Amino acid sequence: MRRPFRILGLVRGRSYDALEEQQKKAETRAERLAEQLEAAKANSRLWKAKAEEATGALKTAKEDTETAQKQWRHAEKLREEADKRRQLEHERTADLALLRQRLEDSERELIVAREQIMAFEVKLDILEGAANVLDDRTRDVIARRPGSEGGTAV
Amino acid sequence: MIPAGARSAPPYLTIIVTGRNDDFGGDFNGRFFQALHFNHQQLAAADVTHEFVFVEWRPIDKRPLLASLLADEFAELKSLPLRSYVVDPAYHDALSLNPRLQFQEFIAKNVGLRRARGEFVLTTNTDIYLSRGVIDCLQRRTLEHGVLYRAARHDLRPDRDVSAVDWDLLEDERNCEVVNRIKPPLFTNASGDFLLLDCKTSHRLRGFNEVYRVAKIHIDGNFCLKAHASSVPIVDIGAPVYHVGRGTFHAQKGMYRARPGEAPWGDMRWRKSGVVYDNGDGWGLGLAPERVNDRGTTFLTFDWHAVGPMVDLGRVVSPRQRQERAS
Repeated sequence: MRRPFRILGLVRGRSYDALEEQQKKAETRAERLAEQLEAAKANSRLWKAKAEEATGALKTAKEDTETAQKQWRHAEKLREEADKRRQLEHERTADLALLRQRLEDSERELIVAREQIMAFEVKLDILEGAANVLDDRTRDVIARRPGSEGGTAV
Repeated sequence: MIPAGARSAPPYLTIIVTGRNDDFGGDFNGRFFQALHFNHQQLAAADVTHEFVFVEWRPIDKRPLLASLLADEFAELKSLPLRSYVVDPAYHDALSLNPRLQFQEFIAKNVGLRRARGEFVLTTNTDIYLSRGVIDCLQRRTLEHGVLYRAARHDLRPDRDVSAVDWDLLEDERNCEVVNRIKPPLFTNASGDFLLLDCKTSHRLRGFNEVYRVAKIHIDGNFCLKAHASSVPIVDIGAPVYHVGRGTFHAQKGMYRARPGEAPWGDMRWRKSGVVYDNGDGWGLGLAPERVNDRGTTFLTFDWHAVGPMVDLGRVVSPRQRQERAS
């Protein structure tokens, strides 16, 4: 019996109400879903913005990390160079101390050598004085010998 | 005058001077007697027990001995403690290494040093006047053993009337022509005019250089170097001594500027600041026979045994060697 009503496009009132109720529910749901969708979309945009922000921050962080790594490497290099220079400095300080010691030794040796030369000069003065005195004495003795004034007879 | 040989307690100070009757520098004897009289008076007034030791080196033949003239001059002065030594001129000839040197002043001073009896010995020159400050130091008896004391010599203007010398004349700054300043460490500069040291240390150092007899100039400064190298501190006594005029050396040195080797004091360029010496055991003619005459003058008669070798190069040493030996 139902069939003929449907064929005619007719529904019972009760069914109609139920359908209308269903439609209202569906529309309410659809509206809620649409709201939810809008909220989700808004949320999604927010998250997207946050994601973009995070991506930007990540990128910046990556760049910063790279910069920091570069700076670290540079610092390492500088430290190595400083170590090398420090080592060189130590070596030079040691060399300098050695040179200073050598200089002091040389100065001491020079003073000793100068004193020895002066002592030699004084000794030479004494020897020369003695030789002159002995020469005078010898000449005096020879001059006093008899017949020495005329020289040796040939 | 208290003659030689008169033994009493050793005095606090022996003053050693040398000379001969040769009129060196003009009126040598008069200048000598005047300074000796002044110094004796001041020391006696300050109650400083002292003696003078005069050494006449190479006395001149046929002239009175200066030692005799000195004895005559001070015969009346009973309080003057004076001992005179006359050295046979043969010693001068035997020791000579430079015929231009007429007077071996520092060997003569060694003769006096060797025979000094005082606790302290001042070797000086005959025409040096002690200052009030020096007399004060001696009076206070604050001198230390093992320290060589030096005094700056103040030269008085030669045009001043010095017929009567007193403190006013000596201390008046207007009368001073030159101050011969002395500086550490050696305090040389006219050091022959004032070298004051205790007798034991003088004997330990064995006096002035007798090894280098080629010059007499700067032998006094060389003694300061010897003292310094022997760890004897040298200090300025803080008071001057006085001398009238600037001295014979100053007056004559210009004559020998072009020919320094011919100077009567020897070549002043000798290496006095680079060497010291170790005198032999017979330093100061310590082995010379002595004979005392009736006037109390002691004669050192000639004996080859008292003369060291003509050349003894091992006794020329560097100051550093000396310091090493001393340490």
